Parts: sequence; C-alpha cells; structure tokens
Amino acid sequence: MLLSKTVRSSSTLKLAFIYVIAFCAAIFGLLGYVYWSTVTYLHKISDRAISTESELLTKAYDTGGRDALVTFINRRLTDAHFSEWAYLLVDHSFDYIAGNLKGWPASFHGQEGWSTLAFADWQSESARRSPVRVKHQLLPDGNHLLLGRDNEDLDRFGESVTIGLASAAVIFLILAAAAGISTSRRSVARIEAINATSREIMRSGLGERIPLRGTGDEWDGLAENLNSMLDRIEELVETNRQVSDNVAHDLRTPLTRMRGRLERACHQQLDLSHYRSLVNDTISDLDEILTTFSSLLRISQIEARDPTAAFRDLDLSEIVREVVELFEPAAEERAVRLQLSAGETVSVFGDRDLLFDAISNLVDNAIKHGGDQGEVRIAVARSADGPLLSVSDRGPGIPFEERNHVLRRFYRLERSRNRPGNGLGLSLVAAVANLHSAHIVMADNFPGLRIELHFPHLQRAVQSDFDQQERSWAIGVPRS
Amino acid sequence: MGGYARHVLVIEDDAETADQLVDCLKSSGYRVDLAVDGEDGLRRALAADYVVMTVDRMLPRIDGIEIIRRLREQGIVTPALILSALGEVDDRVRGLRAGGDDYLVKPFAFREMLARVDALARRSGTTVKETILRIGDLEIDLLARIARRRGREIELLPREFRLLAYLARNAGQVVSRTMLLQHVWDLHFDPTTNVIDVYVGRVRRKIDSGQDYPLIHTIRGIGFCLRAPE
Repeated sequence: MLLSKTVRSSSTLKLAFIYVIAFCAAIFGLLGYVYWSTVTYLHKISDRAISTESELLTKAYDTGGRDALVTFINRRLTDAHFSEWAYLLVDHSFDYIAGNLKGWPASFHGQEGWSTLAFADWQSESARRSPVRVKHQLLPDGNHLLLGRDNEDLDRFGESVTIGLASAAVIFLILAAAAGISTSRRSVARIEAINATSREIMRSGLGERIPLRGTGDEWDGLAENLNSMLDRIEELVETNRQVSDNVAHDLRTPLTRMRGRLERACHQQLDLSHYRSLVNDTISDLDEILTTFSSLLRISQIEARDPTAAFRDLDLSEIVREVVELFEPAAEERAVRLQLSAGETVSVFGDRDLLFDAISNLVDNAIKHGGDQGEVRIAVARSADGPLLSVSDRGPGIPFEERNHVLRRFYRLERSRNRPGNGLGLSLVAAVANLHSAHIVMADNFPGLRIELHFPHLQRAVQSDFDQQERSWAIGVPRS
Repeated sequence: MGGYARHVLVIEDDAETADQLVDCLKSSGYRVDLAVDGEDGLRRALAADYVVMTVDRMLPRIDGIEIIRRLREQGIVTPALILSALGEVDDRVRGLRAGGDDYLVKPFAFREMLARVDALARRSGTTVKETILRIGDLEIDLLARIARRRGREIELLPREFRLLAYLARNAGQVVSRTMLLQHVWDLHFDPTTNVIDVYVGRVRRKIDSGQDYPLIHTIRGIGFCLRAPE
C-alpha cells in the first residue's frame, strides 16, 4: 500500500475521505444540473427552430397552395444549411408527394403535434441514424406534413458536455483525495515529531524540545505550549533536585557531628558529666534537624493546601500589632527600634496562624539582618491595589540579582551563611503569600531592604459575589 | 488524688514508642495502662476512669480520632492528647474538632509530652476556679488582672499578664514554647526562633529583678516553669 500504517489509521485521513466524498457529491450534483439545463435549453432552441420553419411552410402553403409548398420543400432539400432537416409531404392516404424521407414511418400514425421518431427512413444513403424530433401537421386539403430535425449534433454536444463534466469530476476527485492524503500525512508527521520527542524525554530526560517549523500555524502553537510546559516541569524538577541536595547537605553536617560524638563515646572512657553533655548536644543537633524537617514539611503543606479551607476575615493591622508586640523585647535586645504604623482596620481574607508566622519571619529577618541599633519600619496600609504590608530595615539589603533567589528553599546569602538559620524563612513567607494570592516585592530602602506584601482586593470581592449568588439562588430558585 | 497515683491510658501501636511513653509517664508518678490497638484502647477507655489518655493518630482497627469521637458520643470526657505523625494544619484541626484536647506532632520531646499530659491532668482534677493565684510571694488577681510581688504591684502589658497567669495556673509544671504560643497568643504552630524566650525574658525581668529569689525558670530545650523555691 502506498500509505504507511500510521497515515492509514490517522483520524485526519478519515476526515479527509469524508470531505472528499461530500465534495464529490456536491461536484456531481452541480455538473448534473449544468448538463441537464444545457441539454434542455438546446432542445428548446431546436423546437423553436422547427416551429419557425413550420410557420414558413404554412405560409408557402397558404399563399401558393400545395405546389408552392412542394417547391419550397424542394428548395430546402438542395440547401446545404438544412441538411439535418427532414421534410415529408404525403397525401391523405399517406402516399409520398415530396420530401427527403422515403415514406410515412410505418410505426407512426400519430396525431398532430410533437413527437420523436426513434428511426427515420432517409432517402439519401449518408443517412443519419439518430432519433429525429418531428412536428406533424394536417393540412387543410387532407395532406400530412411531417417536419423534423435530426438532433444528432445536439446529442453529440450533450455527450461531449457529459464527457467533459465527468473528466472534470474525476480530476476533482483525484485532486481532493491527494490534498486529503497530503494534509493527513503532514499532520501525522507533526504528531510523529511530538511523539518522538515524548519518547526521547521518557528515555533520556527533560532536555529535549519539540522542533518548531516556524510556520506559526496551530501545530507550532501546540509545540510551543508543550515546550513551555516542559520548561516549567524542568524548572520544578531542578528546584526539587536542589532542595533534595540541600536537605542532604544540611543533614549531613549535624549527622556527621552526631556520629563522631557517639563513636567517641563508644570507644573512650568518659566520666558521667561528659556523657551527659554529649547526649544533650546530640539531642539539640537532632532538634535542629527536626526543625528543618518540620519547616520543609510545613512549606509543602502550605503549598498544597486548599486556600479557602481555614480562611476568615482578619484585620491585618491587628495581626501586625501583635507580631510587633511579640518582637519588641527581641528588638530591644539588639537595640533595634521597631516603628509601627498600623492604625486603621485593614481587612484581609486569610489564615491568622499562617499570616502571623509569615509576618514574624519578615520582622525577625529585619531585626537580625537590619544592622545593630538600626530601625525597622512596619507599615500596614490600604493602597489603591489592595491591602499592603511593608517591612523595611536599614541593613545591607539584598543585591538586586539575588532577590529572586532568596525565596527559594535553603537559599542563603553569602554573608549570612555562618549565622544561625536554615534558609527557609522567606520560602515560608513566599508560600503563605502565594496561598493568599499576595505578591512579594523586594525593593531598595536606601539603604536597606524593603519587603512588601501586596494583598488582592479580589478575595473579598469574590466572597461577596459568592454571597450575592447564594442570595439570588435562595430568592430565585425555590428549594425543593 | 489522695494516696493512689493518677491513672493514665496510653494507646500506641509502636512497641518502642509505647515503651518509652509508659516509662516516661511512670517515672513522673503516673500509673499507666497500655493499649496496643484501637479496639483495646476504646474498650479500656470505656471501662475505667482515667485522668488523661494519649492517643496515637494512626492505629490498627480503629483510628485514633474515631476512638475520641466514640468516647465523646458516650459522654466520656477524659482529656485526650493526640500524638500524630501527621503534622498537617488541617489534621490538627480535625483532631481537635473530634474532641481531642491537645495535639502533639511526632517526633516530640518527652518532656514536652509530659508537660502537656500534666496540664491536661490538672485540668481534669481541679474543678474549683480560684480567682487569686499565689506562688511564693507572687500574687496574681485574675479578676482585677493585677500581679503583685511582696505586695507591690508589677506593671504588665495585657499579653504579659496572660502569659504570667498561664504560667501560674501551671505552677510547678513545665510549659513548652508551643504551649505558650497556643494559649497566650492563640497560635497553632511551632516557633522556629527564640522570640518566645526573649519575650518571657522581659516578663522575667519585671517579675524577678530585685527580688529575693527567682520564680520563672528556663528549662533548657523545652520551655519554662513558674515555681517558688522549696
């Protein structure tokens, strides 16, 4: 078979065939109509010519009687222009008087008017054999006049029209089938390319991409979307890998410490107080690991949560006031001044525990990294875009190019690597912000860092829309 | 409580954890019954009168939350501490909603577990509500919301007073940071910074500085304890 199995079984080819069949039906219908109307028209023209000729003969008869009619007929018989015309004049007993037919057709005793002779008995040898359209006239003297016209040319024309139309239809059919097959071959080829890439990805990894043809068609559109989906997946896998690496790295350090310590305890004779401090150190190392694990789990759980499950209407200002109150002693200890500006009620729709935790992390970071004897400003406001929380410090800030990275799990700035902390605080803030559809902006505070959390108006709007909908249902639809 | 030890029920299917729990509770003076699956646990909880029970979240036969739900249906209000390896926020809410009184995520420090069992046991024991608490020379008036030491009033912020009152209600017992966050701030997560320590430190300065003896003690690795010297 000409076509490969994939092409034969492709749905595009099936569609193409359905299209070809429908197309052919339309073509044959159209050509059939053209043929029918052409032939009908030609016969009508021919009949009209016979009528005109018949009038001329009648006029000759009317003016000169039978002799004039015979003369007229004989003149016509010598005229080459009238070679396809049939004339026959017979008397009342159907005996031949004049004309180019041998005699009154045996099978024909018809009434006056139109009919078609299947076979005409021509006098000349080069006789035409095709049916003749005739008009039968009874003359006043009892003679019969048969006037007709051989429609062979007409039929031949009809035939050639038929052949022409049929061959056109065949050509159309072939072209349509070829177009259908080539279309399906093309789409099968594109699908094959996507399939091949998928198989390659399953085999070797996420590096492969579906080739684009640059045609900008819907196939390229699909390939582009699939490619950007692959980019996103690759990015997530990469992040995941980094997190795993970091977990492994962060675990290895305390685990090594613990192992060494236990080994020493096993091989050396130590006094009781040494053992006790060894066990205590091991427990606090374990606690450190557990804290890291809990933080990681907490972030994943926040990321996987249904946002609205535990959401309530909250006053952001009140939460921030509570956070600031909690951190006041810690700030005092470092001689950092906490400046709070949160007067009016700023409503957000959210989870109090998570918001408190996230804001605590921001304030904690600002106090720790904002430089000693610095100042941390915490402000809550209603901006045009929605509730806005900002925490600004006067510390060294975060270099512009690192601002995107600090939200990643375990990412730590070079200078803070030796300080306590696990690099998860801002990841938690990011997860909480994301859950609340808030976005984080990191800006320069000249000097220092200003982190802003922009909450959407939307959530309240969605909520009140919902309420309204509930109400309208309650009113509009009687509950059964 | 009289002459007999307070009776605690432990429902835990992991043998080693169960052993450690029983050991830990026994060594701090509780009488302990152990049930190793949900069915046994439910039967025992229905049969005897316990001051507290600890319930593992995931158990063979009957789930921990289901046990608490059925007990509450029967009108048995024995305080229950849920011990769970599932630390999800939603799971915590589910456990408390089913009638659990407290929730602790595995792995936990045994002293934290003990602190919570103590708090629950005391809750089921004391029915009379005192309005004035006295610990050594510290006097806390819960109605007037005033704290005095040696008769001198100590100025406290509202939150500081709540913290002191909570410590005083659990006087002599260890209170963990998470418990403080839960009962004083009404927040349900484990603090990852030392901010609670610093906050308690400020309250301690107000209470203890310039006094004959300290009342607020830091228990390393766990939390705090308010107690007068013996």
